[in-house]
Amino acid sequence: MIRFENVTMTYKGNVTALRDVSLDVGKGEFVFLVGPSGSGKSTFLRLLLRDEVPTRGKIIVAGRDVTTLSDWKVPQLRRNIGCIFQDYKLLPGKTVYENVAFASDVIGRPQHVTKSQVPQILDLVGLTSKLDRFPDELSGGEQQRVSIARAFVNRPLILLADEPTGNLDPQTTVGIMRLLDRINRTGTTVVMATHDSRIVDTMRRRVIELEHGVLIRDQARGIYGVGN
Amino acid sequence: MFTRLGYFARETWVSLRRNILMTVAGVLTVAVSLCVLGGALLLTRLVDHGTAQWENGVQFEIFMKTDATLSQVQAVQTQLKNDPDVRTFKYLSHDDAYRQFKRWFASQPDLVSNTRPEDLPESFRVAPRTAALTSLVGNRFVSQAGVDQVNTAPESVKSLLDATRTIRYIFLTIFLALLFAALFLIVNTIRLATFARRREIEVMKLVGASNWFVRIPFLFEGMVQGVIGSAAAVGAVFGLQSLISSSISPTDPLWRGWYVGPGDATQISLYVILIGVAIGGFGAWIGLRRFIDA
Repeated sequence: MIRFENVTMTYKGNVTALRDVSLDVGKGEFVFLVGPSGSGKSTFLRLLLRDEVPTRGKIIVAGRDVTTLSDWKVPQLRRNIGCIFQDYKLLPGKTVYENVAFASDVIGRPQHVTKSQVPQILDLVGLTSKLDRFPDELSGGEQQRVSIARAFVNRPLILLADEPTGNLDPQTTVGIMRLLDRINRTGTTVVMATHDSRIVDTMRRRVIELEHGVLIRDQARGIYGVGN
Repeated sequence: MFTRLGYFARETWVSLRRNILMTVAGVLTVAVSLCVLGGALLLTRLVDHGTAQWENGVQFEIFMKTDATLSQVQAVQTQLKNDPDVRTFKYLSHDDAYRQFKRWFASQPDLVSNTRPEDLPESFRVAPRTAALTSLVGNRFVSQAGVDQVNTAPESVKSLLDATRTIRYIFLTIFLALLFAALFLIVNTIRLATFARRREIEVMKLVGASNWFVRIPFLFEGMVQGVIGSAAAVGAVFGLQSLISSSISPTDPLWRGWYVGPGDATQISLYVILIGVAIGGFGAWIGLRRFIDA
């Protein structure tokens, strides 16, 4: 589903964010991406979304060579990738329902598809009772659920999560992780960048660790820190 | 498809209202610049019609008597063809004269219906090799059999043609300056609109909305400003057309042939609207480049 072949990313000013990274993530895998700030996690995710093109190497996402993909095909690539973030990125002027429906509408799906999909997804994330609420009326955990619903409403092959539990308390975090696990069980590949060692140690999934842009660990059923 | 159009219309409307001050400024500037253009084009039409017989170096007209015989007309034609000082000439038949008469006196249908083509003289419009030869060549035809009179272009027409050329350039310069002002205002409006909606745009790009889907509401917004501005200019063009028509009396011999019809106003309006839409769309396009393509 995701393949990096000797990927190096050097930004202007000679800052190297990734150095010769090679890895493979299969369909339906759940992968934790760990490493200190500045280790290259964000760059890794941006490259997957084709926000940027690597300086050297090749990246295949969902069967497409992202490194040679032309600009106008990027939207097609992104329809295969759902994204959630630490700060949710919900639209404050839209209700829960509208926020999720927006993602479905703007990729041009017919109205009747949106109308049948959105309630299903909101049921999956457990927000059926809050369709008409605005984001600022919801708790952090609920907002993240809306954001997951939005990312999943178009049934992407891959779900990218960038510190999705960074702003949440431990109990809410467990709920969100259960939800991501459930989505993963539908066959969706999940890549989650995180600093939360407790989650990683509890879930025991594949762990990829970056440090100074170098892949220093790739471990099936790993824990957050090897030495600790 | 209809829901999609509805979406674009809704988004455009919301955005126009959110930026109401900038929108009004953009619309007004488009309107003023297109009023200047429309007015200038209409006045140019007026002068063109009024001086039509003096175009392309035509310096004098030979009017035949209405009862001139075919052989007399042919004799004049042959002489014109063989005269080395004549560059070109054009023959106007009874029917040609009648057509022009109908146009000039369109507001007096009684007069037109009481006149037959045979009542109007045939004529030749003559362009000599140089303007200096006008009276020399003209005099060769004055006493020809069947010739009624030879009319030379009045000095006033020549200076008027020179003056309109200058005025046309001045209007064109003012129009272009205003058009650029309008363009910058639209660019700025669209930039503000994209900035106001940067969160929506971010989400749209993230979930894979096509570039066109993101752009279209903004392009519509620019074009709507262009259309509203040009609508005002269209109103001004038709207003000016009826003002000219009512203030120039067709019976006044001094203004014979000077007219602008609704047809002229319609054609000019079409240009005005096209330019309005184009400037709106182009301005929006430039305004979009910064936020959306970056």
